[in-house]
Amino acid sequence: MEIKVLGISGSPHRHGNTETLLDSFLYGTKTAGASVEKVVLRDLDYSPCRGCNACHKTGECIVKDDAIALFDKILKADAIAVASPIYSMGITAELKGLIDRGQYLWARKFILKTLYFPNDHIVRHKGIFISTAGLSWDNVFDAAFPAITAFFNGVGFEYYDNIIANNMDQFKGIKNHPTALREAFEKGQNVVGVLNKLHNRVP
Amino acid sequence: MPIKVLAFAGSPRRHGNSETLLDWVLGGMSTDDDIVIEKVALTDANINPCKGCNACERLNKCVQRDGMDFYHDKIVDADIILLSSPIFCMGVASQVKALIDRAQVFRSRKYVLKLPVVPPERKGKRLGVFLASAGQKWDNVFDAAIPSVKCFYHVIDIRDADISYLMINGVDEKGAIEHHLTAKTEAEKLGKTVIAELRKRLAL
Repeated sequence: MEIKVLGISGSPHRHGNTETLLDSFLYGTKTAGASVEKVVLRDLDYSPCRGCNACHKTGECIVKDDAIALFDKILKADAIAVASPIYSMGITAELKGLIDRGQYLWARKFILKTLYFPNDHIVRHKGIFISTAGLSWDNVFDAAFPAITAFFNGVGFEYYDNIIANNMDQFKGIKNHPTALREAFEKGQNVVGVLNKLHNRVP
Repeated sequence: MPIKVLAFAGSPRRHGNSETLLDWVLGGMSTDDDIVIEKVALTDANINPCKGCNACERLNKCVQRDGMDFYHDKIVDADIILLSSPIFCMGVASQVKALIDRAQVFRSRKYVLKLPVVPPERKGKRLGVFLASAGQKWDNVFDAAIPSVKCFYHVIDIRDADISYLMINGVDEKGAIEHHLTAKTEAEKLGKTVIAELRKRLAL
């Protein structure tokens, strides 16, 4: 069985540092035999969560747009790589907008109790966060992690790894970073290997 | 000179918990005739996300034409800027994050172009207030929202020490905050305290 990998690029900037890092990861998964798809949030049409809580009653989002189709795609993937640059110490508004729209899955899990991800499902679904930041601060990614954790929890994926690179302003771009692109490529290869093993074990 | 108060209500849900909290603070502030309050609901404000194009580093303005054209000047003019947000998925609502990210134009002005955001004589005479509500009861539910909020205030020349916070957890359904034991009292008191502090600063 082919491992399905979905890359989600949350940067408004096409082919910038973050998307390049994502591409390197995806290329790694591809060379390891995965089927790969990349979605660029900028090209999708979806609105932010309205906070209407209608999904708490029905388990469905009342806003029918590209976000729902993307969540369907996410739920069918074996690994997802979610990528966002750090803007103002957090993920981009585009990615936060998508994450917030996952509220209907939260409602299914915790209010309606119609959705449950057993542990053996979660370990076979790997989530990877990919990010770059201009600043050199060690803590520049810290405030992004909780939203990513919430996202992976919501869609039943294990928060497997981070591929993050700070200090882009000094390096003048990801291509000059000594290790990041190679690390991303290798982590892409590795995660497919790990998933292949897990799938052989669980028929 | 009137005191200008600019309040951004960040929730997509109108008159929900975080906006009610904001209204209470504004109620505490609107005690005198010289206080001019403007409240903006971000869900209607037409502020798009930042495109990350970095053009503001050269142009000293944003290339996007939207609601921010209008609020940019108001942000510069205000003496007190309030921002309220519900916590969604451990962070501010994406509408609020869009506003924060669009403050990039101020960051470019300040750090790249080395131009003033407010005239030097107004530095230290601007105050910020961040208000939030969260459905979860966790103590750490607001932690990841704060760094972005600090960025916003920092680039518009409101110092870390000049930001006040009131964050109420464990309120989820619309109206839940009405039943909170201390939120209303604390909010009204905060409004009064911030006005008193600003008057002190302006008198200096």
